[in-house]
Amino acid sequence: MAQKRKRKKSLWQRGKENKKLQAALTILLPAFFGILLLALWQGEVLHMVFHTDSYTLPLPTKIGSILTDNLNKIGENTIATVSVASIGLVLGSLLGYITAVLAACFPKLGRGGLSIIGAFASLPVVAMAPVINNWTKDVSNEASVRSMVAKVIVVMLISAANMSLNAYRGLTELEPYASDLMATYAAKKSVVLVKLRLPNSVPYIFVALKVAVPASIMTAIVSEYFAEYITGVGRQIRENIVLAQYATAWAYIATACLLGIISYVILMIVQSILLRKYH
Amino acid sequence: MKKKLGNLFDKKWAAPVFWMVLLIAAWEVGASVTAINKRTPENIMPHLYQIMEAAFSSKPVANGMSAAAVVLTSAGATLGRALCGFLLGTALGFLLALFMKLSGFVEKLMFPYLMLIQLIPVLGLAPIILAITGDINKSRIVIAAILSFYPVATNTLAGFKSVNKDKYDLMYTYAAPKRVIYTKVFIPSSVPYFFTGLKIAAPMAVTASILVDTLQGDGGLGCMLSQSLKHAMSIYVFWLIVLFSAFIGISSGYLMSWFETLVSPEKRCVKKSGMRREKRSYGTETKKKKILVAEREGK
Repeated sequence: MAQKRKRKKSLWQRGKENKKLQAALTILLPAFFGILLLALWQGEVLHMVFHTDSYTLPLPTKIGSILTDNLNKIGENTIATVSVASIGLVLGSLLGYITAVLAACFPKLGRGGLSIIGAFASLPVVAMAPVINNWTKDVSNEASVRSMVAKVIVVMLISAANMSLNAYRGLTELEPYASDLMATYAAKKSVVLVKLRLPNSVPYIFVALKVAVPASIMTAIVSEYFAEYITGVGRQIRENIVLAQYATAWAYIATACLLGIISYVILMIVQSILLRKYH
Repeated sequence: MKKKLGNLFDKKWAAPVFWMVLLIAAWEVGASVTAINKRTPENIMPHLYQIMEAAFSSKPVANGMSAAAVVLTSAGATLGRALCGFLLGTALGFLLALFMKLSGFVEKLMFPYLMLIQLIPVLGLAPIILAITGDINKSRIVIAAILSFYPVATNTLAGFKSVNKDKYDLMYTYAAPKRVIYTKVFIPSSVPYFFTGLKIAAPMAVTASILVDTLQGDGGLGCMLSQSLKHAMSIYVFWLIVLFSAFIGISSGYLMSWFETLVSPEKRCVKKSGMRREKRSYGTETKKKKILVAEREGK
């Protein structure tokens, strides 16, 4: 009986080769992990690990109930933060894009200018926010308007730096021979800009936005810490902790996290619609 | 004359210097204008020479220390912790990336969370971490560690994945053990990606550490910053801290590039022989890479 017997594969091995199972695992494993984490939190095991109590680290159910109880107030603060982040993002991106176009038109001076902008992009928000606060003291007599302007400017500067750097790459790193082709057509500079450079930069705009959208929310939250007028999700986190209302603070933290995730999802949807013809 | 001027701008350093000079000039003009119009110009826009003067004057501003001494001692407290957290976060991030590469199980488990943490405004968590740890030094370290952890982890993982298949196949034909494949192929080729992560993480760790300071009065740059803003001491301390933290934020990125050339001989070689096809400004490169990585892995 020289018949070769195929060794039966172990369950582990078979599982590894089953594509359906693997695909299901990519979703199931993280979901399971998340549920486990929540369960440990609810069961106060996390508190033991971090040596803390359910007062500073309230249970998820408590946070949830506070979140639903204070929906109106949280909504107000969320609108304050979102409006700062989105106005700043839009204005900043426009400004950054215009800067990039100017830099691409005058490359000799532009490239150097962008390297300076690149350096300023790593400027800490903590240093910028109070300075801008001081500068906008005279904008309005209303503290709410003043603070709003200051916060918007900070977010604007951060997203402008990011956008200009990325858009400049999009405007200058063209397909090989594309600019040569334009040269053989004897195309004017303005035509090259409109027909070649601007369309080429569109995907790079989204590359910039993917960094800028989470960054603008983060910047809005941080600049709220320094603002005169007390409003916004970030400021509420801080105020509530000062008052030792940890559960409320956690509710605002949950809101901030949701904001980050939702805005990113919206960006992804917009991108997939707008960039369809590029793929 | 005009041509000469034109040639001057062909130099690499000319344009940045031009813009710097323009910026300083604009600041000085603004400072002069505010000096005329405002009652307390030093709160809004002091002359640069006034800030420098404050830096070098030995007049005590707080606790019998001069302004420069105040800034430097508090910077020591803040940046030391930031560095601690940064190193810790970097090590953890690298290890996590390695584990994710080694085991598909870990990767499946952690990858969505790694993506998610990038979207969460971690700096907003600073006050609550302070509340949990109860100690400002610990919370500085923890925040800096979290903030440097995820850029390093995502970028390093992308580096492991970017390895050319031919290289892996070659090692396979050599029947190289797994350990050798990792030390000779995977880890070396992840180095540039790893440093991309570090360049993003370093300024963030500094920002985080300063921000945590502002939450509690216990020394540190951020604490001095808010005290000075409330006029508990000379306002020039505020301006010195702003300039100093800007300098640290900017130079930390460059420091990482310097380390990179230090540890990767091939980069030095290429630089020396002038084979680098194009000069890229650092900011765009890192951010772009990070995003491309995220894109590729998302698909």
